[in-house]
Amino acid sequence: MSHVTAEGPASFFAGKPLRFIAATILLVNGMFPALWILFTSLKTEAELTVKPITWFPHAPTVANYMQAFSDQPLHVFLFNSFMVALLSTCLTLLVSVLAAYALARLNLKYRGLILSAIIAVSTFPLVTLLVPLFEIMRALNLLNTWIALILPYTVLSLPVCTLMLVSFFEGIPRDLENAAMIDGCTRLGALFKVVVPLCAPGVFTAGILAFVNAWDEFLLALSFNSNPALRTLPVGIQLYQGEFAFPWPVISAALVVGIVPVAILIVIFQERVVSGLTAGGIKG
Amino acid sequence: MTTSTLTTTQRIEKEPPAWTRMLDLSDRALAVLLLAPAAILLSLIIVYPVARLAYTSFFSLSLTSGLPAEFVGLENYKLMIDDPIFWETTWNTVLITLITVPGALVVGMALALLANLPFRTQWPVRLSLLIPWALPLSFAGLIFAWFFHSEYGVVNDVLNRFGIPGVIWFNSPNLAFAAICLTIIWKTSSFMALIILAGLQTIPRSLYEAADVDGAGRLRQFFEITLPLLKPAIVVALIFRTITALQTFDIPYMMTGGGPGTSTSTLAMYIHQNTVSFLDLGYGSALAVVMFLLSMCVTVVYLRIIRTKG
Repeated sequence: MSHVTAEGPASFFAGKPLRFIAATILLVNGMFPALWILFTSLKTEAELTVKPITWFPHAPTVANYMQAFSDQPLHVFLFNSFMVALLSTCLTLLVSVLAAYALARLNLKYRGLILSAIIAVSTFPLVTLLVPLFEIMRALNLLNTWIALILPYTVLSLPVCTLMLVSFFEGIPRDLENAAMIDGCTRLGALFKVVVPLCAPGVFTAGILAFVNAWDEFLLALSFNSNPALRTLPVGIQLYQGEFAFPWPVISAALVVGIVPVAILIVIFQERVVSGLTAGGIKG
Repeated sequence: MTTSTLTTTQRIEKEPPAWTRMLDLSDRALAVLLLAPAAILLSLIIVYPVARLAYTSFFSLSLTSGLPAEFVGLENYKLMIDDPIFWETTWNTVLITLITVPGALVVGMALALLANLPFRTQWPVRLSLLIPWALPLSFAGLIFAWFFHSEYGVVNDVLNRFGIPGVIWFNSPNLAFAAICLTIIWKTSSFMALIILAGLQTIPRSLYEAADVDGAGRLRQFFEITLPLLKPAIVVALIFRTITALQTFDIPYMMTGGGPGTSTSTLAMYIHQNTVSFLDLGYGSALAVVMFLLSMCVTVVYLRIIRTKG
């Protein structure tokens, strides 16, 4: 990117002062809430009730983290969230790779119709399915199981992942698959041995989006899995609040524990995530 | 790489009929096979439930009463029309949509314009837009509930520092509603900003340079170059945002639980309450049908826009 150092009235817009102000606004807007919860989690209960409130913890303590794990089975919530997100991501990728390949490579008669249907599903309000899914899961005895969440989460991310993968697959030259098939691969073999490895970055990006979607979901997890042993993190965090007390430092510690895994994912794969998000948005 | 592709094409030229004919034969079967898993999942989780939803909405089915489902026709819908909480929660949902969607657009646009400045290091900027997106909605609700805490919240602390007395945010319906809307705008504007930023980066510099030569000011350049070129990206982002705004649940649930009273309750929260707390599946279904129709209207507009784009 070229650095514009224009002279005259426009210079402020490209100049250092503006960039400094802009960076400050962006960073405060993006990071402050997470940082604030981190500060809160390091404060003692006594420091919390001092007025006027302190911004930085005076005597940072990790006691709240210990308490977060001992008051409630936080590790169980984490494990449930992780497994549900991971399994639904794998299922989403498997199903959407197959569907996207058909849509990208085979000359389907109803391709336009199927794509429209997928777009329509991508805007589907999952809330409306609360009642029927609740009935179905109840009838199948699946309430308070991972499956009750894995299946809806898979469908939640399926449309976006499929649309993304279609565009990735269309960018792979057909010759490469043909070569594999001549060398004795079946078409499916060519898909998994040639196309998917070549699209690995794209498949991976789709996977991150699906994982974050599942990690964030709250309503269905709240409605289907109320048993503390099967709660996911967003639902489990509610258990910290007593009837009258709201132990903010401990809740903050639990929130930080829940934010860290996704934050790590985002920090490492930030460019990929941005490209995946915006590809979906711009292409529609 | 190049040599192997070359030999491939040569080989294909040598014996094209063999594999092409085989493919033509199996194309349809293969398509069915590949699309089947997606189709099965979608029918199980979406198509069948939607049908069941419409069906259940004509029944009186309450799991607490222990009575078998009884066909009541449009009774649930009649109940709904006379139910002030239905109207209140629907109105809240529409209001949240009308406030937070344009709000997120304006804030997102501002963030995107700031992020588009020529920073030497890009990753802090990118990260500051990604973190709010990746933060679960329910977490954002809790964090901002703590922000707006009347005694120890940072918002009242900042107000105090400017000499403004702090307020008890969650005791007044209007203030609680405002706090919720601000939280939703914060949470959703960064996704909007990412989409707009990607659009901004595709606009060629030369357009602005030409406008500079023609003597067009910054403001005019924004309205005559930037906005028109960003329109397609913005429209798609707005539609998605609108549909998710209609489903607002996590943030008000975590911040106020719908209170005081039901003044900040949304339609999604009312559906959840009827289904999971009251186990009144018939009425919950009728409410969900309304939500379904609301969002279908937006989806139809969306599909039409995409089709006209080609």
